[in-house]
Amino acid sequence: MLAIPVLLGILFITFILNRLIPGDPCRAMLGEKATDEVCDAFFKRYGLDQPPVIQFGYYLGRVVTGDLGDSMRFGRPVTDMLMERLPVTIELALLSLLVATVVGVILGVIAAYWQNSPIDVFTMIFANLGVSIPVFVLGLLSAYLFAVVLKETPIALPPSGRLTAGVRVEPIAVVWGQETLAGPLRGFLDFLSQMYVINGALTLNWKLFSDAARHLVLPVLVLSTIPMSVIARMTRSSLLEVMTLDYMRTARAKGLNERSVVFRHAMRNALLPVVTVVGLSLGGLLSGAVLTETIFGLTGVGRTMFDAISSRDYGVIQGFTLVIAFTYVVVNLLVDISYAVLDPRIRLG
Amino acid sequence: MSVSAGAASPSLPINSPKTRKQRTLWGDAWVQFRRNRLAMFGLLLLLLIILAVLLGPYIYRVDPKSINIVEASSPPSSAHPFGTDDLGRDMLARCLYGGRISLAVGFVAMLIAMVVGTTIGLLAGYLPRLDNLLMRFTDMMLTLPQVPLLLVAMSLFRDPLRMRFGLEMGAFVMVVTIIGILGWMPTARMVRGSVLSLKRKEFVEAAVNVGARNGSIMTRHILPNVFGIITVAATLEVATAILTESTLSFLGVGFPPDVPTWGSLLYYGRNYMTQFPWMVLFPGLLISLTILAINFMGDGLRDALDPRQRQ
Repeated sequence: MLAIPVLLGILFITFILNRLIPGDPCRAMLGEKATDEVCDAFFKRYGLDQPPVIQFGYYLGRVVTGDLGDSMRFGRPVTDMLMERLPVTIELALLSLLVATVVGVILGVIAAYWQNSPIDVFTMIFANLGVSIPVFVLGLLSAYLFAVVLKETPIALPPSGRLTAGVRVEPIAVVWGQETLAGPLRGFLDFLSQMYVINGALTLNWKLFSDAARHLVLPVLVLSTIPMSVIARMTRSSLLEVMTLDYMRTARAKGLNERSVVFRHAMRNALLPVVTVVGLSLGGLLSGAVLTETIFGLTGVGRTMFDAISSRDYGVIQGFTLVIAFTYVVVNLLVDISYAVLDPRIRLG
Repeated sequence: MSVSAGAASPSLPINSPKTRKQRTLWGDAWVQFRRNRLAMFGLLLLLLIILAVLLGPYIYRVDPKSINIVEASSPPSSAHPFGTDDLGRDMLARCLYGGRISLAVGFVAMLIAMVVGTTIGLLAGYLPRLDNLLMRFTDMMLTLPQVPLLLVAMSLFRDPLRMRFGLEMGAFVMVVTIIGILGWMPTARMVRGSVLSLKRKEFVEAAVNVGARNGSIMTRHILPNVFGIITVAATLEVATAILTESTLSFLGVGFPPDVPTWGSLLYYGRNYMTQFPWMVLFPGLLISLTILAINFMGDGLRDALDPRQRQ
């Protein structure tokens, strides 16, 4: 229920901030030489001649009907740009979160199980290193390592872009012979088509799949490092705490083998805080995405936001901020719900 | 376990005051901290880095801004331990000089974040009327994606501050303020949580009963007790602030490239990375080591100051 006021607040703040950015959007878009008449027409066209309150009201009305306005810079609807660029970031962020969660939980369990052993110390130093190396340092160094130092070796990886030149992408709907399909389903398929790894997998296009995956290895590696370290540490400390509880002794006393003690009894309780951390990592992933996309030359949400802010593209800033905030609020809601599923003591009230 | 401890306690030396020296909270924390090898390692490493950037320029007397085209882009050597950049400026001198700015940003931004965070946390925790309002505000600030917000804020304030304070100082004031006012939320939450439990303690009740006013209860009775938590939060905030500064400079919106900070050195160096990797390697290494050291220290402090985690 808190979600709606928070969203309204975010809309309001971005709206205000946008209007406060110094500089003239007309001349930022059309060039220094734009005449006053041209600029008047420009302001009228984008409603910038109205008082801010009215602009905000109009904007709210349009948002509710699914119209996020136009990009002044590209002269196309923000929703179109979202359809094209959001999948890039979602693919990157979800893969990173997946890698971070799986590897992080495994490392955390290993470290907790063999507490204070060399493997534990090593894992925790690794996890500390992971949160200490800035995303962009790791990005630059890994790009250098895999693209320059290892250039002629089989493990060389491309440092930028999403595909090698010459690899073609077809919309999923076209490959499946559904060109005539329209409406939301087609929209959804086109959205999926932009996630090249999924596109390649669904259309059984091995070349597309492997090439897109190879391009994603470095960005995913870089973006997942921080959440992976946080999750590993959280899993370890949470599991260690649970292991000291009485019911663990009970489980051992009744003769269960160690594996089912750890996995069936300890893990269920230990994973609760981990779920929160996974949910909260999403905000960091979004910030990390700006950097990762900048370094690896991907045109996703983060990169688009950065460019839009530099060129004062109000429509894009507002639209993208709204979608990011919306995603964040929804994810937090899902985390809360998953709590109730994982822990029967918590009831959503 | 508890039964045996209870039975044995009369004979334990803890109960006879003569055998054990009294320790203050901070003295006790220091003993705990010293036992933590990683934390001590972090402390020493951080002290080393601070000493290096403070005293280094007096010992290593090379001007970080002097251009020497003849020696441009030379790899690390005995004359230039960190190599030189594309204009022949000495990278070690630039890293040392840049470290001063990066560390200064970290500490000043931390102070701002601590003042704001502690104030909001104290008020929210102690005054129930303000609690909901302030915490919803905190939640909303936490929800906002940081990097895009920073970018907007930077483009908003850059020009007026530059005109007021000059290029370098203007950038410093702006970076520090923005990092500070975007970094107080975790502290506010931690302080609030601790205040909520502290205000039910007997000593607060006693203070209320002798007629102490809210203001003096908050500052004299509760604040000293949340100081441990603030210390931990402050340590970690320094790391976050240094990281944020370098992120901003790396994106080209923090310090301008001619003011060397670790972040702006990276921003400048990344275009030359494929040919002259040392332009990126050393500033990157310094940022990472500093943050690593501070994080180790922060963990050690948390273990030392938070009695619940003691074993």
